[in-house]
Order: sequence, then C-alpha cells, then structure tokens
Amino acid sequence: MKRVLIADDASFMRQMIRDIIEPEGFEVVGEASDGVEVVDKFRKLHPDVVMMDIVMPKRSGIDAVKAIRADAPAARIVMCSALGQEALVTEAIQAGARDFIVKPFKPEAVLTTLRKVVEKAD
Amino acid sequence: MDLAKYRALFLEEATEHLAEMSRACLALEKDPANGEALDLVFRLAHSIKGMAASLEYESITRLAHHLEDRMAAFRAQGAVDVPEGMALLFRGLEALERMLGALREHGACPPADEGLLEALAADRGSGKKA
Repeated sequence: MKRVLIADDASFMRQMIRDIIEPEGFEVVGEASDGVEVVDKFRKLHPDVVMMDIVMPKRSGIDAVKAIRADAPAARIVMCSALGQEALVTEAIQAGARDFIVKPFKPEAVLTTLRKVVEKAD
Repeated sequence: MDLAKYRALFLEEATEHLAEMSRACLALEKDPANGEALDLVFRLAHSIKGMAASLEYESITRLAHHLEDRMAAFRAQGAVDVPEGMALLFRGLEALERMLGALREHGACPPADEGLLEALAADRGSGKKA
C-alpha cells in the first residue's frame, strides 16, 4: 500500500483528498497544514508520495518542494493547484514536482494522477 | 460525496478564514502596506475559493476569486489603495459573510453581487498607491 502525505492549509481540502484516495488503496500517513510542517513530516514519515497545495502559510509550496527535493531528489510530489495558477504550477514542476491536479478535484483525475506518479517512480 | 459533511466543514473553516481576513483588513486600515496582512488576505481568499469550488458554490467561488485577484494586484503594488481599495475589501468581506450566513440558514448561496464583482475587477493593478 502506497503511503501518502497530504499538505494543505484547509482541513476541508485535506479531508476531501483523504476521502478520495483511502478507499482506493492509498494509506494517508500524515497531514500538514503549512509549508514548514510538510517538510518536517516528510523527513519523519518518508511517504511514497506528497500531495501538496501550492499556496500555503509559513513557506510556499514551491519552497517546500525545493526543500524536500534537496533532501530526497527522488521524492514524488503532486501539486494541488487552482485555476489561474498556471505560472506557479510551471515553477513547481521546474522545482521538481512530478505532476499536478487542479481544484475543484475530480476523484478520477486525482486517482489517475496519483497512480501515474507512483507507477513512474516504481 | 457526503455533501452535508463537507458543507459543515466548509462553513466552519470559511467562517474562521473570514474572521482572520477581517482582522487582517483592520491591520491594513492602519497600515495599507502591511505585507503580512496583504499575504494573509490573499491566501485566505484563495483557500475559500478552492473549498467553495469543490462544492460548486459558484457565487462564493466567483467572489473569493475576485478578492484573490484584487489582493494579488495590491500585493504587486505593495499596498492597498486608500480609501477606495479598503472600502472594496470591506464590501467583499461583508458580501462573503452574507453568503455564508445564507448557506448556513437555507442551504443555498444567493447570487453574487455583480456590481461588487465589477468593482473588484476594475482598475486592477492600476499602480495607485496609498
């Protein structure tokens, strides 16, 4: 079972992702509500995949991607973005994120992206 | 999707966000170039937009999106326009509060105030400073 760390400042969005992925065989090993916490939890939990919002308090998602990738160059990170954030998504991909999903989340799109990222890494 | 569960979660979190945005706007009223407050209002508007879009609350999504874009313009110019920009922000927060109240009371959102949306979109990034 693949282990996932979810990072979003809105507990609503974390719950929604959890409800989409857990019944499909992914284990949520932790949640983070800001860009500092996600880096700390990545170091402690060593998840297979991180699903991370781009806009977060304390440290942006892009900064957090850079910090995680500096520690673990093979880290698999999926960015969660919203319409109108294309430039930030591009920046996040350049920083090392593997893929992205766009809010509002469509369960099938979330699962397809997550599976693709997991399979590519394997 | 368990809409009742998500609606309750949304209302709780959006109401907290709105209270934080109000406090940040009061800080901006005293100091229109308060960078921390500019970032906070931008980020919370973004967060409400994402949550509302997930539940297809179109009018709240549109208002939060316009507030987010207006805040992006204020961040880019380094300050909120005074007094017009501040007045617009407070109008936006009041409208959001009314929408959340209606959603809580009646389970549905009222339509967006098109005049307010137009005002938020007008002269964006004009470069006017306080």
